[in-house]
Amino acid sequence: MEAASDPFWDALEDDRFLLPSCEDCGEAFFPPSRACPHCHATDIEWLESEGVGTLYAFTRQHRTAPGVPSPNVLGIVELEDGPRLLAQFASEYDDLEIGATVTLQTREYAGTVDRGRLEGRPFFEARLRD
Amino acid sequence: MTDARVTGLATLPNGTYDVPERDLAGEVLLEAIDDAGCTLSDVDGLYMPKPRPWTDQGFFTTLLEHQFGLELAESVETYTGGTSGGHAFQHAVGDVRDGSVERAVVLAVERNSTIETDDYLEYILSIFDREFQSPAGPTIPGVYAMSLQRYRYEYDVDREDIASVVVKNRENAAANPDALFDDPVTETDVLESRVVADPLRLYECPAPCDGAAAIVITRGDVADDHDGTGDGVRVGGTGAHHPSSHLLGVRGRSLAAFPAIAGAAERALGDADLGVAELDVLEPYTPFPHTEAMLTEELGLFEHGEGAAACARGQTATDGAIPVSPSGGCIGRGHPPMVTPLLNYAAAVRQIRGESPVVDDVGTVLTTSEHGHIDGVTATVFGGDA
Ligand SMILES: [Zn+2]
Repeated sequence: MEAASDPFWDALEDDRFLLPSCEDCGEAFFPPSRACPHCHATDIEWLESEGVGTLYAFTRQHRTAPGVPSPNVLGIVELEDGPRLLAQFASEYDDLEIGATVTLQTREYAGTVDRGRLEGRPFFEARLRD
Repeated sequence: MTDARVTGLATLPNGTYDVPERDLAGEVLLEAIDDAGCTLSDVDGLYMPKPRPWTDQGFFTTLLEHQFGLELAESVETYTGGTSGGHAFQHAVGDVRDGSVERAVVLAVERNSTIETDDYLEYILSIFDREFQSPAGPTIPGVYAMSLQRYRYEYDVDREDIASVVVKNRENAAANPDALFDDPVTETDVLESRVVADPLRLYECPAPCDGAAAIVITRGDVADDHDGTGDGVRVGGTGAHHPSSHLLGVRGRSLAAFPAIAGAAERALGDADLGVAELDVLEPYTPFPHTEAMLTEELGLFEHGEGAAACARGQTATDGAIPVSPSGGCIGRGHPPMVTPLLNYAAAVRQIRGESPVVDDVGTVLTTSEHGHIDGVTATVFGGDA
Protein backbone atom coordinates (compact mmCIF):
# COMPACT_ATOMS: atom_id res chain seq x y z
CA MET A 1 0.00 0.00 0.00
CA GLU A 2 1.24 3.49 -0.87
CA ALA A 3 0.99 6.54 1.36
CA ALA A 4 -1.28 9.24 -0.08
CA SER A 5 1.63 11.68 0.07
CA ASP A 6 4.34 9.56 -1.65
CA PRO A 7 4.15 11.44 -5.00
CA PHE A 8 4.63 14.74 -3.12
CA TRP A 9 7.83 13.58 -1.40
CA ASP A 10 9.18 11.89 -4.52
CA ALA A 11 8.72 15.10 -6.54
CA LEU A 12 10.21 17.27 -3.77
CA GLU A 13 13.47 15.28 -4.07
CA ASP A 14 13.70 16.76 -7.59
CA ASP A 15 12.82 20.29 -6.42
CA ARG A 16 9.34 19.95 -7.91
CA PHE A 17 6.24 20.88 -5.99
CA LEU A 18 3.23 18.64 -6.65
CA LEU A 19 -0.22 19.39 -5.28
CA PRO A 20 -3.08 16.92 -5.05
CA SER A 21 -6.03 18.03 -7.12
CA CYS A 22 -9.53 16.62 -7.42
CA GLU A 23 -10.43 15.17 -10.82
CA ASP A 24 -14.10 15.69 -10.03
CA CYS A 25 -14.43 19.27 -8.76
CA GLY A 26 -11.05 20.51 -9.99
CA GLU A 27 -9.97 21.99 -6.64
CA ALA A 28 -6.36 21.62 -5.52
CA PHE A 29 -5.95 20.91 -1.81
CA PHE A 30 -3.35 20.38 0.89
CA PRO A 31 -2.31 18.22 2.71
CA PRO A 32 -2.64 15.14 0.46
CA SER A 33 -5.59 12.92 1.28
CA ARG A 34 -7.33 9.84 -0.09
CA ALA A 35 -10.47 11.90 -0.70
CA CYS A 36 -11.05 15.45 -1.86
CA PRO A 37 -11.87 17.62 1.19
CA HIS A 38 -14.12 19.81 -1.00
CA CYS A 39 -16.42 17.22 -2.63
CA HIS A 40 -15.24 13.86 -1.19
CA ALA A 41 -14.48 12.35 -4.59
CA THR A 42 -11.61 9.86 -4.50
CA ASP A 43 -10.06 10.36 -7.94
CA ILE A 44 -7.00 12.49 -7.21
CA GLU A 45 -4.48 13.73 -9.74
CA TRP A 46 -1.21 15.58 -9.14
CA LEU A 47 -0.81 19.15 -10.27
CA GLU A 48 2.62 20.56 -11.10
CA SER A 49 2.68 23.73 -8.97
CA GLU A 50 5.02 26.69 -9.42
CA GLY A 51 5.15 26.85 -5.61
CA VAL A 52 4.37 30.56 -5.80
CA GLY A 53 1.87 32.37 -3.63
CA THR A 54 1.27 35.31 -1.33
CA LEU A 55 2.16 35.67 2.33
CA TYR A 56 -1.10 35.38 4.26
CA ALA A 57 0.17 35.72 7.85
CA PHE A 58 3.49 35.38 9.64
CA THR A 59 5.13 35.30 13.05
CA ARG A 60 8.50 34.96 14.74
CA GLN A 61 8.49 32.48 17.62
CA HIS A 62 11.03 33.16 20.36
CA ARG A 63 10.80 29.85 22.23
CA THR A 64 10.74 26.69 20.15
CA ALA A 65 11.00 22.92 20.51
CA PRO A 66 14.40 21.22 20.62
CA GLY A 67 15.90 20.97 17.13
CA VAL A 68 13.92 23.98 15.88
CA PRO A 69 15.75 27.28 15.32
CA SER A 70 15.05 30.04 17.83
CA PRO A 71 13.79 32.50 16.84
CA ASN A 72 11.77 30.68 14.20
CA VAL A 73 10.16 32.71 11.40
CA LEU A 74 6.99 31.04 10.17
CA GLY A 75 4.23 31.99 7.81
CA ILE A 76 1.12 30.81 6.07
CA VAL A 77 1.46 30.85 2.27
CA GLU A 78 -1.63 31.12 0.09
CA LEU A 79 -0.59 29.37 -3.12
CA GLU A 80 -1.73 30.66 -6.53
CA ASP A 81 -3.15 27.16 -6.99
CA GLY A 82 -5.51 27.68 -4.04
CA PRO A 83 -4.46 25.88 -0.86
CA ARG A 84 -2.74 27.46 2.14
CA LEU A 85 0.17 25.83 3.91
CA LEU A 86 2.52 26.51 6.79
CA ALA A 87 6.19 27.12 6.03
CA GLN A 88 9.35 28.19 7.77
CA PHE A 89 10.79 31.31 6.18
CA ALA A 90 14.35 31.69 4.91
CA SER A 91 13.74 35.48 4.74
CA GLU A 92 14.26 37.96 7.58
CA TYR A 93 11.19 38.63 9.73
CA ASP A 94 11.54 42.40 9.34
CA ASP A 95 11.38 42.08 5.55
CA LEU A 96 8.04 40.25 5.54
CA GLU A 97 4.64 41.79 4.97
CA ILE A 98 1.17 40.43 4.33
CA GLY A 99 0.52 40.09 0.60
CA ALA A 100 4.18 39.77 -0.43
CA THR A 101 4.91 37.32 -3.23
CA VAL A 102 6.68 34.26 -1.89
CA THR A 103 8.05 31.09 -3.36
CA LEU A 104 8.58 27.62 -1.93
CA GLN A 105 11.91 25.87 -2.14
CA THR A 106 13.29 22.51 -1.12
CA ARG A 107 15.68 22.33 1.81
CA GLU A 108 17.50 19.63 3.71
CA TYR A 109 15.76 18.65 6.93
CA ALA A 110 18.05 17.61 9.79
CA GLY A 111 15.28 17.27 12.39
CA THR A 112 13.64 14.11 13.64
CA VAL A 113 9.92 14.96 13.40
CA ASP A 114 8.04 12.31 11.40
CA ARG A 115 11.30 10.92 10.03
CA GLY A 116 10.46 7.22 10.06
CA ARG A 117 9.57 6.40 6.47
CA LEU A 118 10.69 9.90 5.47
CA GLU A 119 14.26 9.41 6.79
CA GLY A 120 16.69 11.40 4.68
CA ARG A 121 13.92 13.15 2.72
CA PRO A 122 14.09 16.93 2.25
CA PHE A 123 11.39 19.32 3.49
CA PHE A 124 10.32 22.69 2.09
CA GLU A 125 10.51 26.31 3.16
CA ALA A 126 9.43 29.67 1.78
CA ARG A 127 11.21 32.89 0.94
CA LEU A 128 10.32 36.25 -0.54
CA ARG A 129 10.53 36.08 -4.33
CA ASP A 130 13.51 37.98 -5.72
CA MET B 1 -36.19 13.05 28.69
CA THR B 2 -35.38 14.61 32.05
CA ASP B 3 -33.10 17.53 32.71
CA ALA B 4 -29.60 17.59 34.18
CA ARG B 5 -28.68 19.76 37.16
CA VAL B 6 -25.34 20.64 38.67
CA THR B 7 -25.87 19.84 42.34
CA GLY B 8 -22.31 20.00 43.60
CA LEU B 9 -18.85 21.18 42.69
CA ALA B 10 -15.33 21.63 43.95
CA THR B 11 -12.27 23.39 42.56
CA LEU B 12 -8.69 23.61 43.77
CA PRO B 13 -6.94 26.96 43.46
CA ASN B 14 -4.78 26.99 40.33
CA GLY B 15 -1.11 26.79 41.28
CA THR B 16 1.61 24.22 41.88
CA TYR B 17 0.99 21.01 43.81
CA ASP B 18 3.55 18.45 44.87
CA VAL B 19 1.21 15.52 45.58
CA PRO B 20 0.20 12.93 42.95
CA GLU B 21 -2.72 13.66 40.61
CA ARG B 22 -4.77 10.96 42.37
CA ASP B 23 -4.73 12.99 45.59
CA LEU B 24 -5.82 16.18 43.86
CA ALA B 25 -8.58 14.14 42.18
CA GLY B 26 -9.64 12.54 45.46
CA GLU B 27 -9.77 15.92 47.17
CA VAL B 28 -12.15 17.48 44.64
CA LEU B 29 -14.20 14.28 44.33
CA LEU B 30 -14.97 14.16 48.05
CA GLU B 31 -15.58 17.90 48.32
CA ALA B 32 -17.95 17.90 45.32
CA ILE B 33 -19.90 14.94 46.70
CA ASP B 34 -20.18 16.74 50.02
CA ASP B 35 -21.30 19.94 48.26
CA ALA B 36 -23.99 17.90 46.45
CA GLY B 37 -25.21 16.43 49.74
CA CYS B 38 -24.84 12.87 48.44
CA THR B 39 -22.48 9.98 49.04
CA LEU B 40 -19.99 8.05 46.90
CA SER B 41 -22.56 5.24 46.72
CA ASP B 42 -24.91 7.58 44.85
CA VAL B 43 -22.43 8.12 42.01
CA ASP B 44 -23.08 5.92 38.96
CA GLY B 45 -21.11 7.76 36.26
CA LEU B 46 -17.54 9.08 36.10
CA TYR B 47 -16.36 11.26 33.20
CA MET B 48 -12.86 12.66 32.77
CA PRO B 49 -10.75 14.40 30.22
CA LYS B 50 -7.97 11.84 29.67
CA PRO B 51 -4.89 13.19 31.47
CA ARG B 52 -2.23 14.30 29.02
CA PRO B 53 0.84 12.13 28.30
CA TRP B 54 3.03 13.52 31.09
CA THR B 55 0.61 12.20 33.71
CA ASP B 56 2.30 8.90 34.54
CA GLN B 57 -0.88 7.25 35.79
CA GLY B 58 -2.86 5.67 32.97
CA PHE B 59 -6.39 4.22 33.25
CA PHE B 60 -7.15 7.08 35.61
CA THR B 61 -10.91 6.52 35.89
CA THR B 62 -10.33 2.84 36.66
CA LEU B 63 -7.90 3.78 39.41
CA LEU B 64 -10.40 6.19 40.99
CA GLU B 65 -13.23 3.67 40.75
CA HIS B 66 -11.08 1.15 42.59
CA GLN B 67 -9.65 3.59 45.15
CA PHE B 68 -13.07 4.97 46.09
CA GLY B 69 -15.10 1.77 45.73
CA LEU B 70 -17.36 3.16 43.01
CA GLU B 71 -19.77 0.98 41.10
CA LEU B 72 -20.63 2.68 37.84
CA ALA B 73 -23.04 2.38 34.95
CA GLU B 74 -20.68 4.42 32.77
CA SER B 75 -17.11 5.69 32.92
CA VAL B 76 -15.42 7.61 30.14
CA GLU B 77 -12.13 9.34 29.41
CA THR B 78 -12.13 11.72 26.44
CA TYR B 79 -9.20 13.34 24.69
CA THR B 80 -9.61 16.12 22.16
CA GLY B 81 -7.16 18.68 23.55
CA GLY B 82 -8.78 21.71 25.18
CA THR B 83 -12.31 20.49 24.53
CA SER B 84 -11.66 17.23 26.44
CA GLY B 85 -13.30 18.49 29.63
CA GLY B 86 -16.13 19.99 27.57
CA HIS B 87 -16.84 16.72 25.79
CA ALA B 88 -16.59 14.75 29.06
CA PHE B 89 -19.13 17.12 30.61
CA GLN B 90 -21.49 16.99 27.64
CA HIS B 91 -21.24 13.20 27.52
CA ALA B 92 -22.27 13.10 31.18
CA VAL B 93 -25.15 15.52 30.58
CA GLY B 94 -26.37 13.33 27.71
CA ASP B 95 -26.30 10.19 29.85
CA VAL B 96 -28.11 11.93 32.72
CA ARG B 97 -30.70 13.39 30.38
CA ASP B 98 -31.43 10.05 28.68
CA GLY B 99 -31.69 8.33 32.06
CA SER B 100 -28.82 5.87 31.75
CA VAL B 101 -27.02 7.60 34.64
CA GLU B 102 -28.60 9.21 37.70
CA ARG B 103 -25.68 10.99 39.26
CA ALA B 104 -22.53 11.69 37.25
CA VAL B 105 -19.23 13.10 38.43
CA VAL B 106 -17.16 14.99 35.87
CA LEU B 107 -13.62 15.29 37.14
CA ALA B 108 -10.45 16.84 35.73
CA VAL B 109 -6.93 16.95 37.08
CA GLU B 110 -3.69 18.16 35.57
CA ARG B 111 -0.19 18.99 36.79
CA ASN B 112 1.70 21.05 34.26
CA SER B 113 4.46 21.60 36.84
CA THR B 114 5.73 18.08 36.10
CA ILE B 115 6.69 18.67 32.46
CA GLU B 116 9.78 20.50 31.17
CA THR B 117 9.19 23.23 28.58
CA ASP B 118 11.21 21.37 25.92
CA ASP B 119 9.13 18.22 26.40
CA TYR B 120 5.89 20.25 26.30
CA LEU B 121 6.95 21.92 23.04
CA GLU B 122 7.72 18.50 21.53
CA TYR B 123 4.27 17.31 22.62
CA ILE B 124 2.78 20.38 20.92
CA LEU B 125 4.59 19.47 17.68
CA SER B 126 2.76 16.13 17.83
CA ILE B 127 -0.66 17.79 17.62
CA PHE B 128 0.13 19.68 14.42
CA ASP B 129 0.06 17.77 11.11
CA ARG B 130 3.24 15.77 11.76
CA GLU B 131 3.95 15.22 8.09
CA PHE B 132 3.42 18.71 6.69
CA GLN B 133 3.33 21.24 9.57
CA SER B 134 5.40 19.98 12.52
CA PRO B 135 8.83 19.98 10.77
CA ALA B 136 8.42 23.77 10.44
CA GLY B 137 8.42 23.94 14.26
CA PRO B 138 5.12 25.69 15.09
CA THR B 139 3.94 26.47 18.63
CA ILE B 140 0.49 27.34 19.96
CA PRO B 141 1.34 31.03 20.57
CA GLY B 142 2.76 31.03 17.02
CA VAL B 143 -0.56 30.21 15.37
CA TYR B 144 -2.50 32.57 17.65
CA ALA B 145 0.04 35.29 16.82
CA MET B 146 -0.91 34.86 13.18
CA SER B 147 -4.66 35.06 13.84
CA LEU B 148 -4.03 38.18 15.94
CA GLN B 149 -2.08 39.65 13.03
CA ARG B 150 -4.88 38.84 10.54
CA TYR B 151 -7.55 40.14 12.93
CA ARG B 152 -5.79 43.50 13.21
CA TYR B 153 -4.99 43.55 9.47
CA GLU B 154 -8.55 42.84 8.36
CA TYR B 155 -10.40 45.01 10.86
CA ASP B 156 -7.78 47.63 11.78
CA VAL B 157 -8.13 46.79 15.47
CA ASP B 158 -6.30 48.99 17.95
CA ARG B 159 -3.40 47.21 19.69
CA GLU B 160 -4.24 48.77 23.08
CA ASP B 161 -7.83 47.54 22.79
CA ILE B 162 -6.51 43.96 22.48
CA ALA B 163 -4.42 44.48 25.61
CA SER B 164 -7.50 45.79 27.45
CA VAL B 165 -8.90 42.23 27.46
CA VAL B 166 -5.89 41.14 29.55
CA VAL B 167 -6.28 44.12 31.88
CA LYS B 168 -9.96 43.29 32.45
CA ASN B 169 -9.36 39.58 33.04
CA ARG B 170 -6.44 40.15 35.41
CA GLU B 171 -8.61 42.59 37.37
CA ASN B 172 -11.44 40.04 37.52
CA ALA B 173 -8.99 37.34 38.62
CA ALA B 174 -7.85 39.49 41.53
CA ALA B 175 -11.30 38.92 43.09
CA ASN B 176 -11.20 35.15 42.47
CA PRO B 177 -9.47 33.27 45.32
CA ASP B 178 -8.81 30.28 43.02
CA ALA B 179 -6.94 32.34 40.40
CA LEU B 180 -3.20 32.08 39.83
CA PHE B 181 -2.83 35.87 39.53
CA ASP B 182 -4.03 38.30 42.16
CA ASP B 183 -2.33 41.46 40.93
CA PRO B 184 -3.83 43.66 38.21
CA VAL B 185 -1.78 44.84 35.23
CA THR B 186 -1.97 47.92 32.98
CA GLU B 187 -2.09 48.07 29.19
CA THR B 188 1.50 49.32 29.27
CA ASP B 189 2.56 46.30 31.36
CA VAL B 190 0.91 44.02 28.80
CA LEU B 191 2.41 45.69 25.75
CA GLU B 192 5.87 45.94 27.32
CA SER B 193 5.99 42.30 28.47
CA ARG B 194 8.37 40.20 26.39
CA VAL B 195 7.38 38.96 22.96
CA VAL B 196 6.53 35.25 22.86
CA ALA B 197 5.60 35.06 19.18
CA ASP B 198 5.38 38.38 17.34
CA PRO B 199 3.08 40.22 17.91
CA LEU B 200 1.81 38.23 20.92
CA ARG B 201 3.27 39.14 24.31
CA LEU B 202 3.82 37.15 27.51
CA TYR B 203 0.91 38.68 29.47
CA GLU B 204 -1.36 37.82 26.55
CA CYS B 205 -0.49 34.12 26.82
CA PRO B 206 -2.20 31.90 29.42
CA ALA B 207 0.09 30.69 32.22
CA PRO B 208 0.23 26.89 32.52
CA CYS B 209 -0.35 25.61 36.06
CA ASP B 210 -1.72 22.69 38.09
CA GLY B 211 -5.38 22.32 38.93
CA ALA B 212 -8.31 20.03 39.61
CA ALA B 213 -12.09 20.29 39.64
CA ALA B 214 -15.10 18.03 40.04
CA ILE B 215 -18.75 18.65 39.20
CA VAL B 216 -21.74 16.52 40.22
CA ILE B 217 -24.54 16.34 37.63
CA THR B 218 -27.80 14.90 38.91
CA ARG B 219 -30.94 13.84 37.02
CA GLY B 220 -33.67 16.42 37.58
CA ASP B 221 -36.19 14.15 39.29
CA VAL B 222 -33.51 12.73 41.60
CA ALA B 223 -32.24 16.22 42.48
CA ASP B 224 -35.79 17.29 43.34
CA ASP B 225 -36.15 14.45 45.82
CA HIS B 226 -33.15 15.59 47.73
CA ASP B 227 -33.52 18.11 50.49
CA GLY B 228 -30.96 20.48 51.86
CA THR B 229 -29.12 21.60 48.73
CA GLY B 230 -31.98 22.85 46.59
CA ASP B 231 -32.54 21.70 43.07
CA GLY B 232 -29.12 22.59 41.72
CA VAL B 233 -28.37 24.66 38.67
CA ARG B 234 -29.91 23.43 35.45
CA VAL B 235 -27.72 22.60 32.47
CA GLY B 236 -29.80 24.53 29.97
CA GLY B 237 -28.25 23.38 26.73
CA THR B 238 -25.23 21.84 25.07
CA GLY B 239 -23.77 22.09 21.58
CA ALA B 240 -20.54 21.50 19.68
CA HIS B 241 -19.17 22.30 16.26
CA HIS B 242 -16.03 21.45 14.26
CA PRO B 243 -15.61 22.91 10.78
CA SER B 244 -12.87 21.49 8.51
CA SER B 245 -9.65 22.85 9.99
CA HIS B 246 -6.45 21.75 11.68
CA LEU B 247 -4.70 24.63 13.46
CA LEU B 248 -4.34 26.95 10.45
CA GLY B 249 -7.88 28.21 10.05
CA VAL B 250 -10.95 26.84 8.32
CA ARG B 251 -10.42 25.90 4.68
CA GLY B 252 -11.53 28.79 2.49
CA ARG B 253 -12.21 31.10 5.44
CA SER B 254 -10.23 33.90 7.02
CA LEU B 255 -7.83 33.11 9.85
CA ALA B 256 -9.59 36.00 11.60
CA ALA B 257 -12.81 33.99 11.91
CA PHE B 258 -13.71 31.24 14.34
CA PRO B 259 -16.90 29.71 12.92
CA ALA B 260 -16.74 26.81 15.39
CA ILE B 261 -17.75 29.25 18.13
CA ALA B 262 -20.87 30.45 16.33
CA GLY B 263 -21.84 26.90 15.37
CA ALA B 264 -21.47 25.48 18.88
CA ALA B 265 -23.22 28.42 20.53
CA GLU B 266 -26.14 28.28 18.08
CA ARG B 267 -26.68 24.62 18.95
CA ALA B 268 -26.35 25.15 22.70
CA LEU B 269 -28.67 28.16 22.72
CA GLY B 270 -31.15 26.28 20.55
CA ASP B 271 -31.04 23.38 23.02
CA ALA B 272 -31.59 25.85 25.88
CA ASP B 273 -34.30 27.68 23.93
CA LEU B 274 -32.55 30.97 24.64
CA GLY B 275 -31.33 33.85 22.51
CA VAL B 276 -27.93 35.49 22.87
CA ALA B 277 -29.63 38.61 24.23
CA GLU B 278 -30.99 36.56 27.15
CA LEU B 279 -27.51 35.63 28.40
CA ASP B 280 -26.37 37.37 31.57
CA VAL B 281 -22.69 36.34 31.56
CA LEU B 282 -20.11 34.61 29.33
CA GLU B 283 -17.40 32.37 30.76
CA PRO B 284 -15.53 31.36 27.60
CA TYR B 285 -12.42 29.27 27.03
CA THR B 286 -10.40 31.97 25.26
CA PRO B 287 -6.70 31.68 26.06
CA PHE B 288 -5.57 34.77 24.11
CA PRO B 289 -7.10 38.27 24.30
CA HIS B 290 -8.06 38.61 20.62
CA THR B 291 -9.89 35.28 20.83
CA GLU B 292 -12.14 36.58 23.63
CA ALA B 293 -12.89 39.69 21.59
CA MET B 294 -13.57 37.57 18.49
CA LEU B 295 -15.82 35.22 20.47
CA THR B 296 -18.07 38.12 21.45
CA GLU B 297 -18.25 39.00 17.75
CA GLU B 298 -18.92 35.42 16.63
CA LEU B 299 -21.84 35.36 19.08
CA GLY B 300 -23.22 38.48 17.42
CA LEU B 301 -22.86 40.72 20.48
CA PHE B 302 -20.64 43.14 18.56
CA GLU B 303 -19.81 43.77 14.89
CA HIS B 304 -16.75 41.98 13.49
CA GLY B 305 -13.67 43.93 14.52
CA GLU B 306 -15.49 45.74 17.35
CA GLY B 307 -15.08 43.23 20.21
CA ALA B 308 -11.78 44.55 21.56
CA ALA B 309 -12.96 48.16 21.49
CA ALA B 310 -16.15 47.10 23.30
CA CYS B 311 -13.98 45.58 26.03
CA ALA B 312 -11.86 48.73 26.25
CA ARG B 313 -15.11 50.73 26.69
CA GLY B 314 -16.09 48.49 29.61
CA GLN B 315 -18.99 46.73 27.91
CA THR B 316 -17.65 43.30 28.91
CA ALA B 317 -16.54 44.32 32.42
CA THR B 318 -18.32 42.92 35.47
CA ASP B 319 -20.57 46.01 35.51
CA GLY B 320 -20.92 46.16 31.73
CA ALA B 321 -23.81 45.17 29.47
CA ILE B 322 -22.49 41.59 29.13
CA PRO B 323 -19.78 40.57 31.60
CA VAL B 324 -17.20 38.29 29.95
CA SER B 325 -14.87 36.14 32.07
CA PRO B 326 -15.85 37.56 35.48
CA SER B 327 -13.82 34.68 36.96
CA GLY B 328 -10.70 35.94 35.18
CA GLY B 329 -10.82 33.37 32.38
CA CYS B 330 -7.74 31.50 31.13
CA ILE B 331 -5.60 34.64 31.20
CA GLY B 332 -6.42 35.70 34.76
CA ARG B 333 -7.00 32.35 36.45
CA GLY B 334 -4.05 30.49 34.90
CA HIS B 335 -4.64 27.66 32.49
CA PRO B 336 -4.55 23.91 33.10
CA PRO B 337 -6.26 23.05 29.78
CA MET B 338 -7.80 19.76 30.92
CA VAL B 339 -9.36 21.52 33.93
CA THR B 340 -10.23 24.90 32.39
CA PRO B 341 -13.62 23.85 30.95
CA LEU B 342 -14.70 22.68 34.42
CA LEU B 343 -13.46 25.93 35.95
CA ASN B 344 -15.74 27.76 33.51
CA TYR B 345 -18.69 25.55 34.52
CA ALA B 346 -17.90 26.03 38.21
CA ALA B 347 -17.74 29.80 37.71
CA ALA B 348 -21.11 29.76 35.92
CA VAL B 349 -22.78 27.66 38.62
CA ARG B 350 -21.38 29.82 41.42
CA GLN B 351 -22.63 32.96 39.66
CA ILE B 352 -26.13 31.53 39.32
CA ARG B 353 -26.02 30.38 42.94
CA GLY B 354 -25.23 33.98 43.89
CA GLU B 355 -21.73 33.14 45.15
CA SER B 356 -19.71 35.31 42.76
CA PRO B 357 -17.88 38.22 44.38
CA VAL B 358 -18.22 40.35 41.24
CA VAL B 359 -21.53 39.70 39.42
CA ASP B 360 -25.09 39.65 40.84
CA ASP B 361 -28.51 38.45 39.69
CA VAL B 362 -27.13 35.98 37.18
CA GLY B 363 -29.70 33.63 35.65
CA THR B 364 -28.03 32.37 32.48
CA VAL B 365 -24.37 31.82 31.57
CA LEU B 366 -22.83 30.60 28.32
CA THR B 367 -19.52 28.76 28.63
CA THR B 368 -17.22 27.31 25.97
CA SER B 369 -14.25 25.05 25.52
CA GLU B 370 -12.05 24.91 22.42
CA HIS B 371 -9.16 22.94 21.01
CA GLY B 372 -6.33 23.52 18.58
CA HIS B 373 -6.66 26.97 17.08
CA ILE B 374 -10.36 27.12 17.98
CA ASP B 375 -10.78 24.36 15.39
CA GLY B 376 -13.47 22.70 17.49
CA VAL B 377 -15.70 24.20 20.19
CA THR B 378 -18.19 23.02 22.79
CA ALA B 379 -20.75 25.45 24.20
CA THR B 380 -22.73 24.78 27.36
CA VAL B 381 -25.48 27.02 28.72
CA PHE B 382 -26.31 27.06 32.43
CA GLY B 383 -29.64 28.24 33.79
CA GLY B 384 -32.82 28.98 31.89
CA ASP B 385 -36.24 27.41 32.29
CA ALA B 386 -37.01 23.74 31.67
ZN1 LIG C 1 -13.40 17.51 -5.22
